[in-house]
Amino acid sequence: MTQLPPVHVEGVAFWTAQLPDWQTARAVIRGESLPPQARIARPTPALLAPTERRRAPDTVAVALEVGMRACEAAGQDPAMLAAVFASTHGDLAISDYLCATLAATPALISPTRFHNSVHNAAAGYWSIGTKAHAPYTALSASVHTFGNGLLEAATQALSAGQPVLYVAFDAEARGALASMAPSRGLLGVAVVLGVETPAKPSRRLTLTVAPCDTPRPTSARSPAASLVAHNALAPCLPFFEALADPSPRALVLTLGEQLELQVGLQ
Amino acid sequence: MAVSQSDGERELAELIVTALNLEGVLPEEIDPEAPLFKTGLGLDSIDALELALEISKRYGFQLRSDDENNVHIFASLRSLAQHIAQHRVN
Repeated sequence: MTQLPPVHVEGVAFWTAQLPDWQTARAVIRGESLPPQARIARPTPALLAPTERRRAPDTVAVALEVGMRACEAAGQDPAMLAAVFASTHGDLAISDYLCATLAATPALISPTRFHNSVHNAAAGYWSIGTKAHAPYTALSASVHTFGNGLLEAATQALSAGQPVLYVAFDAEARGALASMAPSRGLLGVAVVLGVETPAKPSRRLTLTVAPCDTPRPTSARSPAASLVAHNALAPCLPFFEALADPSPRALVLTLGEQLELQVGLQ
Repeated sequence: MAVSQSDGERELAELIVTALNLEGVLPEEIDPEAPLFKTGLGLDSIDALELALEISKRYGFQLRSDDENNVHIFASLRSLAQHIAQHRVN
């Protein structure tokens, strides 16, 4: 068992079709309001110049939206932050398109979609849009993606002694791949993790890596659960339920088949 | 802005706006003689590849990336529409 020194959650962001910002999501998680009926198809990434914006797929749009909102909430300049981007599947719609086109008409692959198909596309668009020269990481860890991304971001913040932006997202699966890697809707979340006690109130986050026989992740139980339950990133919700609750909370995320991440929020 | 487009130019203008997901550009407002790249519509090299792909699919002939006449072919909506009219199979 390994416990990391605490980090501070300086800013939080959340986006899904019916919960398009953290304030709305937090109120719904707490049961203070019902989710809006209106569903927003995708956020508009104002960060990007028109040329990048018109090429940005949904995965990039949601990643940039939550990244910007988390930096705003933290009062941090996005250009100065190292960043970790995590996604279970990347852009499955593009992966399906590439597979189907390669099988049928391989000479007719869209260069734009090929350009957008890589797992670090969102991170690349982010660094273009923010003009950030800070390092970024793009990772995937199957169903354990959110916990591994959180651990990576906290580890980087602690080792560098600098705040780190953590962005996680997953989108709708399409075509044949949807039968193997199902995911519904568009979901993006972000936090800025800092190592110094911020001037404004923040939550203190303590992470412990613990070997186990079988991970027992905390289940989502808020009214927001049904809105994200079928997205591949749904395992992130218990963490945001804990953030929405101002009282100290503990929860478990999975890191692997025999490894769990014990999360304390004070 | 009122511009005079032939039927072929109008059809190509619609393909460009749709294929490249151009924001705030109406097909009927693309000046047939204005540059498509850099100035004018402000397209870039990825757009050129994407456009060549869409033209291949729609009109049934290949636009080659190593064609030395590409600068002239892709100069404007008018020059591209004329090239398509001369080579189209579909």
